[in-house]
Amino acid sequence: MQDYVLLMIGAALVNNVILARFLGLCSFMGVTTRIDTAIGMGLATTFVITVSSMANWAVQVYLLEPYGLGYLRTVTFILVIAGAVQFTEMTVRKVSPPLFQMLGIYLPLITTNCAVLGVALLLVEGKMSFIAATLFAFASSIGYSLVMVIFAGLRERLALAEVPRLFAGPPIGFIVASLLALAFLGFSGMNTN
Amino acid sequence: MQSSLVEGIARVVAIDGRVAWLEPEQTTSCGGCASSGLCGAKGIGTTASRLEMRRFPLTNEPGLIIGERVVVGVDERALLKASGTAYALPLVVMLGAGLVAQWLAGSDAITMATMVIALGVGLAGARWGALSLGARGQLAPRFIRRASTDEFCRTELTKGAR
Repeated sequence: MQDYVLLMIGAALVNNVILARFLGLCSFMGVTTRIDTAIGMGLATTFVITVSSMANWAVQVYLLEPYGLGYLRTVTFILVIAGAVQFTEMTVRKVSPPLFQMLGIYLPLITTNCAVLGVALLLVEGKMSFIAATLFAFASSIGYSLVMVIFAGLRERLALAEVPRLFAGPPIGFIVASLLALAFLGFSGMNTN
Repeated sequence: MQSSLVEGIARVVAIDGRVAWLEPEQTTSCGGCASSGLCGAKGIGTTASRLEMRRFPLTNEPGLIIGERVVVGVDERALLKASGTAYALPLVVMLGAGLVAQWLAGSDAITMATMVIALGVGLAGARWGALSLGARGQLAPRFIRRASTDEFCRTELTKGAR
């Protein structure tokens, strides 16, 4: 159990998807203008990353590895991710049409989120068991959501701050993102091996 | 405590007695990006058929007409509850069941099967939670005002707009 906890802390904080691996930067800058939007996108991405990673693990172990089809990994994973997004969308629509009307806007964006593919490829490199791979994917996406929400909170406060015109908007956003990345660099001092 | 509303712009596409049917405007969450015109995400999921799926009713008390653009709002806490119900609940159930299965059986195949079943159970729970939220009317958007011609998708909060 301790191994799983360390694996999750490492994935969420030490090797954060956004600030350490630089994945999912489009949504990081595009969907963090408000905290509730960031939470909605973060939870949707968490669901899709976890479910698609489970499917990708099964495809890798039961299909690509036994038949020597490793060279098709990227294409296959993209297909699985698109399928996972469609599955999520259909499920949310079936479970509750009002929920789909409220939350459906985030789902198409996730298809093109490189963090989803990045986590799936990291699982293959790590050669993990199924439960470890799932927890790693879940923790990675929790780290992604955490950074999204923190950054959205900072940007909401920035909107009220008097920023010089030269830096207003995305420039000050990038500066704040770099400071946030420096703060997360502090977690790299933790020994999670 | 004052509540906040998450606002969006929708267009009236049909009037059915006292009910107006609205479609959300064709925007993506990252539509404000300087490169949105070239972005691949813009073309995915924004076709007319997908907008039709997101059509929603609104009581036509303000006397709306077809083609009119209006600003509608949803309670911020309702949005968070909805996100938690749709995504967090099934995930928590699935991961919890997976951990228990791995601890008891220690087999990848059994863990995988258990997690798939637990995901189904979690989604059933999400359906029940969504029905409960819907019964309380928390998921229904409400009319705020008519949108001006140069107004586009707003993203700021409205304090105490109830």
